[in-house]
Amino acid sequence: MKRDSSFAALKTAALIFIAGALCLFLLSSYWIFLITAVFIIGVALQSLGLVVGRAGMISLCQMSFAGVGAWVVGYLNVIDFPGGLPVWLLIGGLAALPFGIAIGLPALRLRGINLAIVTLGFAVAFGVVLGTITYPGQTTFTMVARPSGLESDQGYFIFVLAIYGIIAVALEFITRSRLGASWLAIRHSERAAASLGVSVPKAKLSAFAISAFIAGISGGLLAGYMGTLLADNFSMMQSLVLFAVAIMVGAQFPLGAILGGVLVALFPELLRRLSLPQDLGSVFFGVGAVQALSTGETISEAFGRLGRKILPRRIRTQKRASEASLPAARVLDGDKAVLEMRDVTVRYGNVVALNRASLVVPQGTVVGLIGPNGAGKSTFVDAITGFLLSYEGKILFQGKEIDALSATQRARAGLRRTWQTTRMAPELTVGEYIRLASGGGLSDEEVDAILVWLDCPPSEQLISSVDAGARRLLDVAGAVAARPPVILLDEPAAGQSYAEAVMLGKRIAEIPERFGSSVLLIEHDMDLVRSACSQVTVLDFGAVLAAGATQEVLDMPSVKKAYMGIDFDEEAAQ
Amino acid sequence: MNSLLTSAVAGLSAGGAYAILGVCVVFTYRLVSVVKFTATALGAIGAFVMVIMTEMGYPLLPSVLVGILVGALASTAVGLITTIWFSGSSQSIKAAVTAALLVCIIAMGQRLTGGQQPRAFPDIVGGAGIQLAGVTITAASLVAIGFAVFLTVAAEQVLNRTRMGLQLRALSERPMAAELLGIPVRRLAIGVWAASGAMTSIALMLVAPLRSPDFGSLSLLVVPAFAAALIGSFKSFRAALVGGILIGVIEGLASVFVGLNQYRAAVPFLVILVVLLWSQRGAQWDEAR
Repeated sequence: MKRDSSFAALKTAALIFIAGALCLFLLSSYWIFLITAVFIIGVALQSLGLVVGRAGMISLCQMSFAGVGAWVVGYLNVIDFPGGLPVWLLIGGLAALPFGIAIGLPALRLRGINLAIVTLGFAVAFGVVLGTITYPGQTTFTMVARPSGLESDQGYFIFVLAIYGIIAVALEFITRSRLGASWLAIRHSERAAASLGVSVPKAKLSAFAISAFIAGISGGLLAGYMGTLLADNFSMMQSLVLFAVAIMVGAQFPLGAILGGVLVALFPELLRRLSLPQDLGSVFFGVGAVQALSTGETISEAFGRLGRKILPRRIRTQKRASEASLPAARVLDGDKAVLEMRDVTVRYGNVVALNRASLVVPQGTVVGLIGPNGAGKSTFVDAITGFLLSYEGKILFQGKEIDALSATQRARAGLRRTWQTTRMAPELTVGEYIRLASGGGLSDEEVDAILVWLDCPPSEQLISSVDAGARRLLDVAGAVAARPPVILLDEPAAGQSYAEAVMLGKRIAEIPERFGSSVLLIEHDMDLVRSACSQVTVLDFGAVLAAGATQEVLDMPSVKKAYMGIDFDEEAAQ
Repeated sequence: MNSLLTSAVAGLSAGGAYAILGVCVVFTYRLVSVVKFTATALGAIGAFVMVIMTEMGYPLLPSVLVGILVGALASTAVGLITTIWFSGSSQSIKAAVTAALLVCIIAMGQRLTGGQQPRAFPDIVGGAGIQLAGVTITAASLVAIGFAVFLTVAAEQVLNRTRMGLQLRALSERPMAAELLGIPVRRLAIGVWAASGAMTSIALMLVAPLRSPDFGSLSLLVVPAFAAALIGSFKSFRAALVGGILIGVIEGLASVFVGLNQYRAAVPFLVILVVLLWSQRGAQWDEAR
């Protein structure tokens, strides 16, 4: 995995170097000047790609963040702050960062359109403020000084290209890290991300903060490029155009950011040469964005798809890692109850979903939780893992009350769950997902071993190409990879063939011994429950009907009646 | 003290327009679950058609009517795009679509209306207004507020009392189920878009003389419109009505203080920030499994 990021980073750096060298040798200084703008806009687009393309949040104020950076650079230039443009850029980026956090705050627990609204509001308000306070040095015609030795247009091109390269390489590492994976995870489902121990507020704020930082740097670069700036350079319209372009090209991809830069910087030039009005460009970008949204495919993705058609991507055959490489169990002490629910009651309005339900999961066992549809099994799991707004009663995890902890905190403490409907980010590879779920610290061999152990697809495959049944296995593999004290499996065998379910049952039964995790298994497949569970609790209409050793419980007449629909008395009478 | 009151009252006419816009935003959000970033830009189209017609020498009333009609048609066009291509998409995607369309509309609007060159907007409501406690309340603000109140009451009554309102509510909650019940879903949705386009055009005709009336600035009024709608949590017409008027009054008050006057237009943003931070208390998770 480290190797992958280093390789990608090296490739990006080499490509940028070659592109830069070609431009310098082949193009006139007029074109060099124009192409400098491509890379400055490319930096801004990379910042937007991070928030919009990766974390899936709408930001309509990216040029305002850039404006903060540009303003600070202008100010430092006017007061002649030591260090020159490289230092000013950094300070400008850091100045934009708190703005990013402040704008991100209202969207921590609210989703969707709220962020779009608050960013649009900020874009307008920033335009008003910048129009009033004006750009530093604007009235005295003080130009922002370029770095010494790089004052010429060629020199500044090299400087911009270097900054672009540094940011692109840094992003290659960040997006492949756990943080980068968590952005994709919250984009797809915040619940599922929280159940992996991802802190949703942290993921959102970090995406916004890093994005604002990069945007601030792009603003500083623009200041050095133009010398002086106007409020119009950072108006809401500029932010909107950038947003449309980012959606159209897919700014989260390295190719997309460059392509977008080319469109924004060179399209007006093309229109000028064709003697067409310049604002046609904005119309074109808006239509392009709508087109990309309706097909669900950005230009970068379309190119990638065509590219793979011509040059099919080879997937290295999976190393058949042996079971010996499975990660070691985390050693747990004693044989006390690892999870205990005491008299838990859950109400949805007037409906009582759980009525004083109690359950104990002893250390090192697989406990089954069964019951007819609507009995409250999933509510049970939601209550344990902290996904309900409120419940009555107590839940003890390793002897401690956890009722005050959030879902993320519970997942991190070692209470892990899977979902009836898997909600993994399709853009992740299998290996990246397992790493995200494991909480880090697994070697490549250990990841492969877990995948082989559960018969999952190879780690390089994209989750978007994994079928629903295999995704459920992957969900289990992710929980196992974290080796938490307790794993709650919500119908893992749904959608599996009989043979797969039998294999899964065997594996689930092995989990306590191999990984040190106790399991609470919700399942409708009675063969699986019989083969995997040593104890079973039966829920019916939100209340515990029976609990005890598996076979004894399943033989109880009341259980048969509630669960299998067989009326024991009727059967006896016949 | 009196100057404070005068400025607060001066904010009423903008407040009335914000209230109309806010109610329209709530209306489209509740019924077709789209947050319309294009709302005021579409209204601006209607308002500019009216201005151009009066400049060409047509009388005021027909110009206003044609303007409203064009605003409704423009809104219908955007509505067609969202209902035909994005009916199954998430709210965020629909919002992104309208944001992208906003780019097109502003770019074209500025080109066709002469960029940032302000137009002379006629006061479509003449008259001196009334004197109250020594302060003049203009006729324009009375009309704006009156129209906003009328819209609020009408929207509530139509939704709660009429058969069409029932169908609209069904459409908003489960479009698919409504369609299966034989409700003409697409026709209703288009009707909602057309109605909101017409109302927004009226609001912009009322507010335009108070602003620097170029196409871009008028399109930006979508921010106070959203702020007003947010005060009503995108649900309550009455709260949006009150919220819109309040924002106008706060803006008016800000104009009294010399240091704050230039930053007046930042008021809606601050309102948005406060309302969102406040409404975060309850929300927790995205939609259940």
